[in-house]
Amino acid sequence: MYDHQTRSLWSHITGEAIEGPLKGKQLKPLASMPQIAWKTWQTNYPKTKVLSVGKRESLKRDNYADYHRSQRAGVSRMNYTDKRLSNKSLVIGVQVQTKDGAPGRAGADGRNGADGQVGTDGQDGADGRSGNYDPYNTQFRAYPLTHFSKTTVINDRVGEVPLLIFHDRESFATAVFKRNIANSVRTFRSQDGHFVKDNTGTRWNLVTGEATSGKDKGKLLERLPAVNIYWFAWARYYPQTTIYKP
Amino acid sequence: MFHYLQNCIILTLCFAVLCTSAAENDNDPIRTLLPFDAIPAITKPQFVPAAKAKLDADAPVIGVTFNDESHAYSLYLLNGHEIVNDVVGEQKIATTW
Repeated sequence: MYDHQTRSLWSHITGEAIEGPLKGKQLKPLASMPQIAWKTWQTNYPKTKVLSVGKRESLKRDNYADYHRSQRAGVSRMNYTDKRLSNKSLVIGVQVQTKDGAPGRAGADGRNGADGQVGTDGQDGADGRSGNYDPYNTQFRAYPLTHFSKTTVINDRVGEVPLLIFHDRESFATAVFKRNIANSVRTFRSQDGHFVKDNTGTRWNLVTGEATSGKDKGKLLERLPAVNIYWFAWARYYPQTTIYKP
Repeated sequence: MFHYLQNCIILTLCFAVLCTSAAENDNDPIRTLLPFDAIPAITKPQFVPAAKAKLDADAPVIGVTFNDESHAYSLYLLNGHEIVNDVVGEQKIATTW
């Protein structure tokens, strides 16, 4: 990408300026729903507006369908050498900041999520040349989508941060949350679709991140930035990434 | 894919950096494959209400929500633009795909 104001070049993946006057500056990743079936999004956010381009809201086909079906990795003739997974394996890429003030800690939707106690843990350092990131307080982990064939949730921990990874094969919804409400760390299990239950019996909607029953009703889990991405790209930008293993 | 807070910076795609440059690897050269704006970013996005959207039920979208305001972007449309410079619930963002 480039910006009109300075014509600096920016990486789509990391959000860092890599060339030009703003080289080294870092945009802040924000939490989103990186992909979801339209009907599921609309059901949860009925007041949503929809991007319209040239009076169209949709094309009916994916112009990259052939690319997605193929084994081809990227548009350049680069060799991707991290063979821990095959190049075109789809993963959920998560970066966890374990210190206040670092990029990437924004909540999903402006409202307050649970305020988790965040530990610091100096392991798994990046090699430290990535803009404003503090390598000793950022950890990266990839969750292969193949783990979500029989469940919609993974309860994990990265450093000291308890994480909930959610992926629904039906709607392709993906979300990553902190797994705690204040100091209470919860464990989640699949129920139906994007609804899950925690170990206190509270039911949660993991598209919105909101508790829908019990004494926590209306509370929101804190959402973290997440991407659905091919392994070759994730591993190239974040070679220090770990891969989730059950 | 990511949504970036931007401080009054309009981002437009330069395809050259999409897959050929790794921020953490200084050995990766920047190679230019397409000129600036060959893939036109959206800088003045237009929206329609959900009821008027002609999307298929299973059409993939990116969804964002800030301060009770939500926007959905069809991935098939984003294939041709790759970046939307937008403001959602007063949050200035670039939605990139």
